[in-house]
Amino acid sequence: MLKFIFKLVLLVSFSVAAQQTPKKGKDIAKPADSLAVPVKTENYGLRVGIDLYRPSRAFYDDGFKGFEVVADYRVRKKTYAAAEAGTVDYTYDDYRLNYTTTGSYLKAGLDFNMYDNWLDMENMVYLGLRYGAASFSQNLNSYKIYQNSAIGTNPETNAASTNYFDEVTVKTDKKYGGLSAQWVEVVAGLKAKLFNNIYLGFSVRINALVANKKPAGFDNLYIPGFNRTYDGNFGAGFNYTLSYLIPVKKKQVLPKEKEVKKKK
Amino acid sequence: MKRLIGSVTLLLVLCCYMWSCEKDDLCATDTPTTPSLLIEFYASDNPAAPNPVTNLRYFVEGSKDTIFIKGSAAKIRVPLRVDGTSTKWGLILYTNPNGVDTYNTDFLEFKYTTTQVYVSRACGFKTLFKLDDPTAPNPVLTDGDKTLWIDEADIVNTNVETEEKAHVKIYF
Repeated sequence: MLKFIFKLVLLVSFSVAAQQTPKKGKDIAKPADSLAVPVKTENYGLRVGIDLYRPSRAFYDDGFKGFEVVADYRVRKKTYAAAEAGTVDYTYDDYRLNYTTTGSYLKAGLDFNMYDNWLDMENMVYLGLRYGAASFSQNLNSYKIYQNSAIGTNPETNAASTNYFDEVTVKTDKKYGGLSAQWVEVVAGLKAKLFNNIYLGFSVRINALVANKKPAGFDNLYIPGFNRTYDGNFGAGFNYTLSYLIPVKKKQVLPKEKEVKKKK
Repeated sequence: MKRLIGSVTLLLVLCCYMWSCEKDDLCATDTPTTPSLLIEFYASDNPAAPNPVTNLRYFVEGSKDTIFIKGSAAKIRVPLRVDGTSTKWGLILYTNPNGVDTYNTDFLEFKYTTTQVYVSRACGFKTLFKLDDPTAPNPVLTDGDKTLWIDEADIVNTNVETEEKAHVKIYF
C-alpha cells in the first residue's frame, strides 16, 4: 500500500513536470501545495542586438547598405524601454529617377509585452510605440524628363502617336543635404529566447510622418529608418533581430497575493 | 490574446497594403508635365479672325516622323526639344486647288532656354521653356520649297509653362 502511494505521488509529480503548467493555480493549485513550488525568477536587464535583415539585404540588393542596432531595457514586468539606431546608404533606380539616400536615424519608445510566460520562459509578443528621427542627404544621380509630346495620329495607321522625341535621361550629380524627418511608429513583434540569454526577434512597423524637411526642387523619396515615402504621410518597415540579454538583476516572482491570503 | 492577434494581423495587412499597392508609381495623365508650344493660325488679311488649316503635317528638320493633324485645326501643339535650345519645325500646308493635292513646306526655328523642374516620383522631371526675345529674330522663318505660305509668326507669350494660352500666332 505504501509503495502504491509512493508510486502514485511519483506519477503525479512527473506528469506535472511534463505539463510544466503550474499556471496561476486553479487545477494545479492543490498538488502545488504538496509539492515545492518552483521558484520563478524573471530577468531584468539590458538586451542589445543587431538587425539581420539589413546586412543580408546587401547580398541581393546592390544599392542597399544598412546597419541597425537595437536595444531594450525592462522597466517593469510588462514594460520595456526600447530603441533602434541605424545607418542607411541606399541607391534606388526608380522608373524615372535614380537617387541615393544616405543618413542615420534613431528611434526610441516603449514595448508592452502581452504574452504570459510559463515558468522561466522569457518570450515576448508585444506592441510598441516609437518616435523616430532621421538626418540624411539625397543625391539625385539621374532623371528622365516626362515629355508628353505625343501629338496627332499616325497618317498611315490612324492610331494615336507616341512621343515625338526620344526619351531624355539627364545625368546630374546633385546633392540635397541637411534633410531631416520625424515620425511616429506603431510596432508589433515578437522575441523568442533561443538559448541562454540569446533572443531572436521580428517586428513589423507602420510609420506616420510628423515632420519632413524636403529640399527645394526635389522630394524626400526615401528616409532612413522610415523607408520609402508615399503620397500620404505613411510608411512601413520591419526588422529581424538577434539580441543578447545582459542580466542586471533577477526578481523572484512571488505567488499571487490571493493565494497568499488563502494560505493565511 | 485575441486582441493581440487581431492587432498584429491588422498591422500585417496594412503593411502588405503599403508595400504592394503603389498608387504613386504611375504618372497620372492629367499631371502638368512638359508643355508644348501652342500655335494658333490667323488670317493675314484679318488678323483677328482664326484661320484653320486643313490636314496639316509637321516634322522636325532631319526627322522622318511627321505629325499629322487630320481635318481642320485652328491651333496645334508643337513639342520642343528638352535637350537643346532650339527646335526647327517644318510645317506642311495642304491645299487642294482645282482637285490637285498641293503641299508647301515652311520652316520655323524656335530658340529658347530650358529649366528642369521636379514633378513627382512617378513623373520624374518636366521641362519649362522660355522663348528668346522675339526681336532676335525668333522664330526664324525659312522656306522649304519655292514659296512661303506663312506671312508672319509672332511670339505672344515667351513663357512656355502651360498649354492654356497660345504662345505663337501664325498669320497666313
